[in-house]
Amino acid sequence: MRIREFFLKPYSKLVWILLMMLAWELVAKFAPVSALAFPSLQQIFKALFDSIKNGELVYQMLFSLTLILEGLFIGVVLAFIMSFLSVVSKVFESFTDTCVSIFHPLPGIALLPLIILWIGTGTSAILFVIVHSVLWPMILNMNAGFKSIPDVYRKIGDNYEFSRFQSMIRIFIPAALTYLLAGLKISWARGWRAVISAEMIFGASGSIGGIGWYIFNRRVFMDTAGVYAGILVIIAVGILVEDFIFGKIEKNTIKKWGLS
Amino acid sequence: MKKLMLVILMVMVLFSTACTQTAGEGQTIRIAEQYGIAYAPVQIMKEKGFLEENYPGIEISWEQLSNTAAIREAMVADRLDVGFMAIPPFLIGSENGMEWKIATGLSSVPTGLVATDAIQSLSDFSESDRIALPQPGSVQHILLAMACDREFSDPTKLDNNLVTLSHPDGMSALLAGGEITAHFTSTPYLQKELAETGFHEIISGQEAFGGQFSFIVGVTTNKFHDENPELYDAFVKSVQEAIDFINQNPQEAAAILADVYDLSEEELLTYITAEDTDYSQTVKGIQTFSDFMVKTGYLETGISNPEAATWENVVYED
Repeated sequence: MRIREFFLKPYSKLVWILLMMLAWELVAKFAPVSALAFPSLQQIFKALFDSIKNGELVYQMLFSLTLILEGLFIGVVLAFIMSFLSVVSKVFESFTDTCVSIFHPLPGIALLPLIILWIGTGTSAILFVIVHSVLWPMILNMNAGFKSIPDVYRKIGDNYEFSRFQSMIRIFIPAALTYLLAGLKISWARGWRAVISAEMIFGASGSIGGIGWYIFNRRVFMDTAGVYAGILVIIAVGILVEDFIFGKIEKNTIKKWGLS
Repeated sequence: MKKLMLVILMVMVLFSTACTQTAGEGQTIRIAEQYGIAYAPVQIMKEKGFLEENYPGIEISWEQLSNTAAIREAMVADRLDVGFMAIPPFLIGSENGMEWKIATGLSSVPTGLVATDAIQSLSDFSESDRIALPQPGSVQHILLAMACDREFSDPTKLDNNLVTLSHPDGMSALLAGGEITAHFTSTPYLQKELAETGFHEIISGQEAFGGQFSFIVGVTTNKFHDENPELYDAFVKSVQEAIDFINQNPQEAAAILADVYDLSEEELLTYITAEDTDYSQTVKGIQTFSDFMVKTGYLETGISNPEAATWENVVYED
């Protein structure tokens, strides 16, 4: 049973990561694989540190993160407006439902050829892909959250003579926060994937591209270790955002309020 | 502790089985099939069955791969014996440890930088103009760098203006009239763009290079060349026959290709018989490419002489 307890600790992720790295290194060192396909950890970390040292990777990561923050913000605001209108009006709700069923299953990357024709290839095109991938899951979660609110809560709002907008802010959002955070988490993950895929297809727009461009560039210059370095950075950002940012927000809101 | 060991073992098995599969041996040849006027001899070789004739009993597996990076990766994974590509991506692969050499030249086709009429020369590009080309390190990118080197003594002058787009996407972006104001492309996209009003060619590939060069060459892995010398010879001979067929019977070749490429026969005939389209096994310009790429830092060592990068049968010119 000692092993089981060991893996219940918060640092268990770290242990797994170390084990995977060990397995990786063993394969790279002893298995009959080409170093071009399976570079050793030493090569990967060297590529990673070189890119960080000359500033390239840091700028490109910031570039991608800025893009995704903009996209998330636009997406969440749009989702909020559409969900708010859906709560207020049944007619609008059916419109939102239709939009979600049309666009939610549609990958942004499939729209790329059209996006190039509509808005070109710059940052705005990548932003469009991010907003597309953020908006629909966010609306789905917001609507589900608002629908799950018991009728009594609504009536409390009526008793206080809140306006629609007031009851939205003071009752609906806090009550549906579990759903909103889940939506935000999904949207972030979708947006992060979208920005990297879009960058890998569009390449750099301007002097520096994002992290997807970094990987693409490493690939065409056949620097496999560099490709893995880029992927490591993406994983690191993913874990940081998930565990620290969302973890913190959840701890201070829904967990503290006993909602989850 | 036993449980933990078991888990580790399973992870390791998972990793190792995923990476050690090798393709079936025997008399097969795996060739990357690509579309485009520059690859016409490959298509003719396939349609006319030249290789089957020269090496009876051979099983040819034609693999569909969309770009040079994918071909390179398939060759690393031992999924491919023969690939066709431009010289710069070949040199990048060699430098990074790919075990391969050039087996044959294939074609030289028109290539060039098309721009809107507002841009008359390389010096007219402003910071907000964007140039579409297939990818960094591609022959189009290196030709653009060569042109910039000649004009401004700065090969990276326009590197911050690049956008990576495939040929068809690049064409639609250019014609859509957004921020993409130029496109470094090749046959047949080059002719299609030039046929539209408002676009013209700023510089051709040959002007940028400063002479003739092979646009596409055929590359085989060391393993294929060393283990199947007879099959290798048959392959090279078949490419030659396909090239001869196109040069001697352009009309018939156009008819065959028209079906494969879904273009009209007349259109294809003009492309394959165009003055600056040339199908030949001679490898041209490899040392010039290598020296330029070393000088400008795209390569570290490059090649000392063309023989180091080509198999014994190859005739080269520089």
